[in-house]
Amino acid sequence: MGLLYGLIAVGLALIFGLMDVTNFAHGEFLMIAMYLSFFLFAFFAIDPLLSAPLVAAALFIFGAVVYLLIVRFAMRAKANAGMVQIFTTFGLAIVMRGLAQFFFTPDYRSIPQSWLGGKTISVAGIFLPEPQLVGALVSILAFAGLYFFIHRTDFGRALEATREDPGAVALVGIDKNRVFAFGWGLGAALVGLAGAIMASFFYIYPDVGASFALIAYVTVALGGFGSVFGAFAGGIIVGLVEATTALVLPPSLKSVGIYAVYLLVVFIRPRGLFGSI
Amino acid sequence: MTALLETRGVWQRFGGLVANSDVSISVGRGEIVGLIGPNGAGKSTLFNLIAGVLPPTQGSILFDGEDVTHMPAAERCQRGVGRTFQVVKSFETMTVIDNVIVGALVRNTVMREARRKAHEVLEFTGLAARADVLASDLVPAEKRRLEVARALATEPKLLLLDEVLTGLTPTEAQTGVALVRKVRDAGITVLMVEHVMEIVMPLVDRAIVLDLGKVLVEGKPADVVRDPKVISAYLGDRHAVGA
Amino acid sequence: MDKDFAARRRRDLIIAAVLAVIAALTPLFVKDVVVQNILILTLMYAGLSQSWNILSGYCGQISLGHALYFGLGAYTTELLFTKFGVLPWFGMLAGGVVSALIAMGLGYPFFRLRGHYFVIATIVIAEIGLLLFHNWEWAGAAMGITIPIRGDSWLKFQFLRTKLPYFYFALALCCLAWFVTWWLENSKWGFWWRAVKDNPDAAESLGVDVFNSKMGAAAVSAFLVAVGGSFYAQFVSYIDPESVMGFQFSLLMALPAVLGGIGTLWGPVLGAAILIPLTELTRFKFGGSGRGVDLIVYGTLIVLISLALPRGLLSLFSRPKKTGAAR
Repeated sequence: MGLLYGLIAVGLALIFGLMDVTNFAHGEFLMIAMYLSFFLFAFFAIDPLLSAPLVAAALFIFGAVVYLLIVRFAMRAKANAGMVQIFTTFGLAIVMRGLAQFFFTPDYRSIPQSWLGGKTISVAGIFLPEPQLVGALVSILAFAGLYFFIHRTDFGRALEATREDPGAVALVGIDKNRVFAFGWGLGAALVGLAGAIMASFFYIYPDVGASFALIAYVTVALGGFGSVFGAFAGGIIVGLVEATTALVLPPSLKSVGIYAVYLLVVFIRPRGLFGSI
Repeated sequence: MTALLETRGVWQRFGGLVANSDVSISVGRGEIVGLIGPNGAGKSTLFNLIAGVLPPTQGSILFDGEDVTHMPAAERCQRGVGRTFQVVKSFETMTVIDNVIVGALVRNTVMREARRKAHEVLEFTGLAARADVLASDLVPAEKRRLEVARALATEPKLLLLDEVLTGLTPTEAQTGVALVRKVRDAGITVLMVEHVMEIVMPLVDRAIVLDLGKVLVEGKPADVVRDPKVISAYLGDRHAVGA
Repeated sequence: MDKDFAARRRRDLIIAAVLAVIAALTPLFVKDVVVQNILILTLMYAGLSQSWNILSGYCGQISLGHALYFGLGAYTTELLFTKFGVLPWFGMLAGGVVSALIAMGLGYPFFRLRGHYFVIATIVIAEIGLLLFHNWEWAGAAMGITIPIRGDSWLKFQFLRTKLPYFYFALALCCLAWFVTWWLENSKWGFWWRAVKDNPDAAESLGVDVFNSKMGAAAVSAFLVAVGGSFYAQFVSYIDPESVMGFQFSLLMALPAVLGGIGTLWGPVLGAAILIPLTELTRFKFGGSGRGVDLIVYGTLIVLISLALPRGLLSLFSRPKKTGAAR
């Protein structure tokens, strides 16, 4: 489960953590991705696992477009830049929820039969649900990929440089908007991946994103802004804490443990575990 | 009479880096003292130790006969230490007068009096005409001046100036020099950090040269500029910069 | 200069008084219950947003967890009322005090945090509060508390036949929050807050007690918001965790101030006066379908205003003097 949170958080880690742009619509990106893979299943009978790359590609475009059409302007705000980012993306989230209600109705949907849904696999005598296992696998791959991408490619360096000093990178011929649009696209694609996998074992409804978004923020902040590895570690910690909390507290309180651990961590280390900003 | 400010054997280490080693200086009442030295000499570190941004690793700092080594910056301000910042830190969303009122509130609890004091200081520093302008709309030289005005409004005994004359045009620097003299004439002791010797030497009563975290030379400006140690420190610095 | 300043302060006060009188007279002309309801909510959110603005706008500590104080106000009042028979008036005060104390207790660790870490911590603490109340049997858990009906009385602050007393209380709350802001704006606290927001290091060097400034702002802000929560509980006469401590309240408190002009005296009132009726009207007009059109309209509006007017609607009114030009 923790790695699943990690998977949702990895896209956010890129947008929020590395680019330092608040995205309050992250959960709604997830929701859209889940619907997409639902409809691909419902109309074309494509299993979520197969449609995942398609969904990721679609979300990539969506993320880039959202950046170019909206976020770009929010970042340009001369006053209250932080609040403007929070509330434009929050407004966007509400619009997306509204649109989902309008077009998809508030009904709960689920993908009844998928390759992964409801199946378990036995590893050394322990039964593990397959979707979670695949989620974990994809999550590790996604993190490794992102880590490699940020630290080993020119684009990763450009991204970091752009966050730190947009003016300076403009001088060396890097177009901030192209770098960030690509970053947003990539972040959204990763959420797309998460959404596709989750679609096979979660109910899908317009507000589904909200329940995961906060945990994703906490995961990223727990690991520390500016660190891919931090977000990964954050995801694992969140998963472990949740599992442990569930043992001692009633299930409805399982998130309390996560929140408490976040508070504890930032009180001791105000920049999260591995944060650099 | 005891010195207004005294540092005794002050050390500051950042990890393995020694920024100040065994620095003992004193500043007498009514003096203008220049703290100079090449880049990386430890001027700013010493300055921050005196202002109370962080406590020294070792040694003690005395202000007005009181040990202030571990006193936080805000309390030092109440005792009479005013400062400016090398990188200007105005309250950007507030007007010039409001910026200065913040300083004036240290000694004036009644708003009306704080406001009056702030206006006085703006007159004194030549910013009166800009009172109702937002700080973010000032030109750089005016922002420097505002920093001085804000600090003066706290009615300090000792004013710490961190490179207030650096980066100004010659005319602006001249007005700056005149202002510093005026401040001293008002009975306020001044300790100023400057990188460029040419600007400060004619202004200060005494110069303290730091190099590599230590006090290199201390004395009258005329003697200091002729000191071979100072010359080589600065030349070395220039060579380093050139290379 | 000084005269200009005093005149501006006086002008603000007079405008506020005139607006308050006009608002107080509206029930004479507006008999429609739906409209009265909207007016009450508008006044309440104006007051709440004004209170939020003290900590987040003036002092710059962006809190998206004020629902905690709203909920605490509501719960303290109703628990005292239903379990111990304490009159809501005292409950209101108690709720305010409890919230202010909790805000200050939280301040110790919280105010060391900066930026996103602080904002997320505020969201998280409100969420913890929500979950705890969800599971607190004695406080009604997820079922919440239904306020027993004891008939109309000012003493019990309960009115069934007419909404008017609620209206006047909401107006009073809004006026109180405005007046507190007006008064603090030109006090040592007001100046300290703005200094802390703009540059804590510089503030410190000028003798500002940065930590205690934040604590003061948090306490005042939490107290007023909690009073708003108490009022809301009496007004709707039923509370459960989601309906008084949910994340949406944190946002609804912040929105009017942000859209109207964060960190300004008039921003929250202006923002609420436009936003709340609009929200309620879109919900009224499109919401019935349950198809989310109200959300689409509302969300689009927020996006557009935030993008077009980052300083808030108020910036439309301030003459474009030196302020904007030099940028």
